[in-house]
Amino acid sequence: MATLNINGRNMSVEAAGDTPLLWVIREQLQMTGTKFGCGAGLCGACTVHVNGEAVRSCQTSVSDAAGKKITTIEGLSAKGEHPLQKAWIAEQVPQCGYCQSGQIMQAASLLAKNSNPSKEEVVAHMDGNLCRCMTYSRIQKAIMRAAADMRTASNAGDRRPT
Amino acid sequence: MNTHVKITKSEAADLSRRSFLVGSAAAGLALGYSAVPGLFGSDEALAATAKNFDPSVWYAIGPDGLVTVTVGKADMGQHVASTMAQLISEELGSNWKDMRIQLASNDPKFNDPVLGAQITGGSWSTMMNFDAMSRAGAAGRIALMEAAAGMMGVPAGELTVRDSLITHVKSKKSKSFAEIVKSGKITKTFTPDDLKAIKLKTPDQYTKVGVSVPQLDIPDKTRGAAKYGIDVMLPGMVYGKVVTPPVRYGATVKSVDDSAAKKVPGFIKAVVLDDKTKTTTGWVVAVAKTYTEAQKAADALKITYDGGPNAKLSSQSLFDEAKRLQGLSDSGEFFVKDGDPAAALGSAAKVIEAEYTTNINIHCPMEPMNATAEFTGDILHIYTGNQFATRTGAIAAGAAGIDPKHVVMHQMYLGGGFGRRLDADMTVPAVQAAKAVGKPVKVIYSRENDMTMDFSRPLTYQKVKAGLDGDGKLVALSHDVVSAWPTQRWGIPDFLSPSVDKKGPLDAFTVNGADFFYTVPNHYVRAIKNEMAHEATPSGQLRSVAPGWTFWAVESMIDEIAHAAGKDPAQFRIELLDGKGKNDGGAQRLRNTLLAAMGLAGYGSLKLPKGEGIGVACVSSQERKTASWTACAAHVAVAPSGEVTVKKLTVATDVGTQVNPDGIRAQVEGAALWGLSLALYEKATLKDGGIEQTNFDTYTPLRMSQLPEVTVNVISNGEPATGVGEPAVTVIAPAIGNAVFNAVGARVRGLPITAEAVKAAMKA
Repeated sequence: MATLNINGRNMSVEAAGDTPLLWVIREQLQMTGTKFGCGAGLCGACTVHVNGEAVRSCQTSVSDAAGKKITTIEGLSAKGEHPLQKAWIAEQVPQCGYCQSGQIMQAASLLAKNSNPSKEEVVAHMDGNLCRCMTYSRIQKAIMRAAADMRTASNAGDRRPT
Repeated sequence: MNTHVKITKSEAADLSRRSFLVGSAAAGLALGYSAVPGLFGSDEALAATAKNFDPSVWYAIGPDGLVTVTVGKADMGQHVASTMAQLISEELGSNWKDMRIQLASNDPKFNDPVLGAQITGGSWSTMMNFDAMSRAGAAGRIALMEAAAGMMGVPAGELTVRDSLITHVKSKKSKSFAEIVKSGKITKTFTPDDLKAIKLKTPDQYTKVGVSVPQLDIPDKTRGAAKYGIDVMLPGMVYGKVVTPPVRYGATVKSVDDSAAKKVPGFIKAVVLDDKTKTTTGWVVAVAKTYTEAQKAADALKITYDGGPNAKLSSQSLFDEAKRLQGLSDSGEFFVKDGDPAAALGSAAKVIEAEYTTNINIHCPMEPMNATAEFTGDILHIYTGNQFATRTGAIAAGAAGIDPKHVVMHQMYLGGGFGRRLDADMTVPAVQAAKAVGKPVKVIYSRENDMTMDFSRPLTYQKVKAGLDGDGKLVALSHDVVSAWPTQRWGIPDFLSPSVDKKGPLDAFTVNGADFFYTVPNHYVRAIKNEMAHEATPSGQLRSVAPGWTFWAVESMIDEIAHAAGKDPAQFRIELLDGKGKNDGGAQRLRNTLLAAMGLAGYGSLKLPKGEGIGVACVSSQERKTASWTACAAHVAVAPSGEVTVKKLTVATDVGTQVNPDGIRAQVEGAALWGLSLALYEKATLKDGGIEQTNFDTYTPLRMSQLPEVTVNVISNGEPATGVGEPAVTVIAPAIGNAVFNAVGARVRGLPITAEAVKAAMKA
């Protein structure tokens, strides 16, 4: 029995401590947006945030995740309207879509720290996430679009009269 | 033919014999082709409508005005469901915001109207369903207009339809689709003749075809909300993890010791598969309460195997056998036989020959293979994303020992298909485990299972011989293609083709593309089955199938011939694409795409530094009859180490008519990058009968850091719509190989192109 804080809620799960977080999220909590791809940390399909860092949930045990703040694709924004999600639609990124939860979560951890990444920084940050449909160029465009939108929103916020 | 697999034949794929029915039903208005073929009179059709009409057929319009299209196609990233909805919406006159999609079951009523089965492949869907979907939409519009005319008391001929609203301009009256459907009184039958008589829109009247409307499946895929096979949850469900043998095919289980597995919490049972469909050999499923427990139990099983007849084979054995077979004069069957190549080669002024190879390639879609099986009463329910529901249902039935008509396939989104999910293997462990434990079972392959048990792109060996006359003109070409026969493995005679020498049926899906549009008076293509490879590495259809290897050989060889004749390889192609005889039409379209790609890439005009080069290739993939005309100019830089960097791929493709231009660009770019990945980065090998690569550390598809600049240039000339998901795969490898030669004079004849091979060829 462990308590996990997922998407802002505390949830009790019954699983051996060495169970990968991925399977607890998917099976017990039935949040299936986080995907199984390789089971070895090689593809990024299972990416979630633990204390704001993008991690591979297939390589993170339940006992390691307990007591930390976990965010999945379902919790990235309340209505699925994170700037990255909007940009993903605007650029029509997904094809089969299977890797895209992981791609978006990986990208979100970049933009949280760097709202103006260079193309090289995007590639370096995203290179561990495979897309077998090869949507890479649209992923890059969508990240740049979301970054620009976030900067605009934040500038607008700065200009707001006090 | 395997007697345990019974493929249910569709009664009639011929839509010209089907009526189209429109009827008010409980949930709104339902529209679709009659499930029962036959020459209905209108009265009989009406009776059929009233009694048997199933409102889930094809599409339905709800009282809220939402139009839900049910698509019997596998949606694996090509957004085919959205495309079908777009075709219907165009003629129906609905607002795109009102369109919804859902995926069909394997009920034959959702079969492809042209193919008579549920199969998604060959880049066929749009091309083959354009007319049927358009007429279905138009019939709906006509029925709604007639009902609206009655409601408004005006002549139907004076009405206009736009954005789900039917308007009578003169009286300024209008009725929305929702209002008309709510009136609940529509019944109309279109006989086959009525349907044929409908005048479809001309391209200048299109408002949706040719427009990049947003794909309907995308928003859910940004929120983790799209449901794939692996996401299925059933009450009481348990999990299965397969344990696969070290040999790809032919092994048998000698013993299973589950004493350690029994100590794993949650473990339920180890099930040794008894697969009479022969889809799998030597598989065991560890069943447990959770997938993690099933994995632990699987690891704890001690299984001994008899490796079977293929346990000693390697990639080298398969290549050696291919060469032996190619050397025999009576091997194989002829796919093409024009003129007398043997005589023409005998009298040619110059003969050149070359061998081209490709290695085993693995599909590895991001969603590992999986299936969930549940028995309820007499019915077997299968939940999985699959490209060939008709055959997969039959395999699942064979694994269960029941009649296919008792199998219901529930289609899910596919986390990548690429041809892998034409196969049915994932249903076998799910079915037999569910039967053994009496509960619904979801079987999920580990990535290691998925890679080592792939129905892979076969290893291929091709020998090409060309004869030139004294003027350097190509007068003879002989082309032998040796491979496993992936489509023959299906055991469905309809998918085989007669050979031109009447020696028996051949698997044209191993030689398509070799029947090119160049004019060569003496030309033969021989399809030779590598039985050893066929048995040891059961092969499948991998995105682009045969043209992925035939054009590697043809387009590399054409370059070699051009150089032997002292001609520019692009100009040499243009001369060969003269459009004479059977090549009329296609050759000119292909020539135009080649010219486009050359121009856009700066072929011949761009001054390149030392070590860089541009190579071209042009292809008529997929099949001669279903070609999309595609050319590529690849710009590469080759380091002294032999390492190849692709700087830019310029792709031009003639697709006839574009339904969704943005969707086409996505597909063509994805296909081109698949081509690049296969050309440079992907290689699987067989050793001791097993695939050596087990995960993405050793089998290494393209990553973002390897992405070159890609420009996709689409020619849309009003010809019928062609397929776009695959053809661009096939043009990339030869364009890169030719570019490497152009850059450093090194000719590489094996895929993938490695730095070592380039370096070796540079020295030679």
